[in-house]
Amino acid sequence: MTRPLPAAREAFLLPALFLTVAGAGGLRISPAGGGLSFVPPPLITLVLAVLLLGVMARAGLLIPSGLLGDHRTGLENASGTVVVLSLFAASAQLFTCLTPDAGVLRLVFNLFFLFLLWNTLAAQPDRTRLLRSLVVVFGWAYVVRYVALAALADPQAGWTRRLLTVLLEGATSGPIEGEATAPLAGYVAFATLALYMIGLVLLPRALPPGTVAIVAARAPDVVE
Amino acid sequence: MRGLPAARATMGAVREVLVRVAGLVFAAAYAAFIVSVYARQPRTVQQLAGGVAASVGAYRVDPVNFQEGLRFFRNDQFPEARAAFERADPARQDAEAQFYIAYSYYRQGWGHVYRDDTLYRQGLEVVDRAIARAPGGRLVVADPTLQMHTADELRAELQRGLVAELSDFNPMKVLEPRK
Repeated sequence: MTRPLPAAREAFLLPALFLTVAGAGGLRISPAGGGLSFVPPPLITLVLAVLLLGVMARAGLLIPSGLLGDHRTGLENASGTVVVLSLFAASAQLFTCLTPDAGVLRLVFNLFFLFLLWNTLAAQPDRTRLLRSLVVVFGWAYVVRYVALAALADPQAGWTRRLLTVLLEGATSGPIEGEATAPLAGYVAFATLALYMIGLVLLPRALPPGTVAIVAARAPDVVE
Repeated sequence: MRGLPAARATMGAVREVLVRVAGLVFAAAYAAFIVSVYARQPRTVQQLAGGVAASVGAYRVDPVNFQEGLRFFRNDQFPEARAAFERADPARQDAEAQFYIAYSYYRQGWGHVYRDDTLYRQGLEVVDRAIARAPGGRLVVADPTLQMHTADELRAELQRGLVAELSDFNPMKVLEPRK
């Protein structure tokens, strides 16, 4: 059983948050001139998004019965479907946002996400632990993509670039190429990530076990 | 008095239905907007904002810059005309402004013995955009100073200029007028 969500949150707030993430996740801002481009989700991000939704369902972060089911009216099910679809689109585009656009690093990032999600799926964390884990995973990817790689590609980065070059010396056979990003892109990605995490926190939660027992005792037909 | 809680419950249920219906409409519109942005691929913030304004029918070209563009165009000052039309239509949403930009590429690229393929290609790209922006894909510009009044004629002329044919070697072709 889940705590019922307020209608406005389910019908407006969650779709708005997730669709905003889906839209902003593919935004690329050129470091030279600030030109915009919108990158649709690559196929691998769709696979990662399916895996992530599976992990969320397993951990109780995404409770399908709280959004869809026979106990809900048709309109409620339509709202729930919109939330799930927008969450899927947002997840796919968040991976697009946090992954470099090309090169070996893109492959490394995708493999990193794939193995981490697989590992999390096997570990079966609860809702709170999964939320913490996602903050760490996405936060790490954000720092590498928008701070470290951007600093490596920026000749003006000064000591940050030198420090990273020294740290990575010997770790690879050749120099690691950074990925130039416009300063604004980092802020947009940060806001996108923050909105996604806020959306996840606002998803329907399971009732505490004690509450379910009381409801089961007083109104067994509701539990059925 | 006993009917009051029942009435409140009914109003609450109706309100919830209204909120959910409004939410569905909002989500569908927002999703459609995002898909359209990804499909149109605006390159600047002005193009993005112009696309939004055009989708709700609120986009207007700047008349002063448009008139300036027309003046340059009629004086055969084509780069200047394009700059003015770009200022008039920064979001590239106005079919007529795009038509004149494409026409300026045609006229600048036209020569008695030679057609500039680069300018013709750019013109073709812009006239395709003009056709895409025109309602139903049909664009007619009633300007008596032009010899081609529709985007279809201009497109066909630009395409002809890009194709090398045997008739290109006809010496009489030198006498063909610029449209």
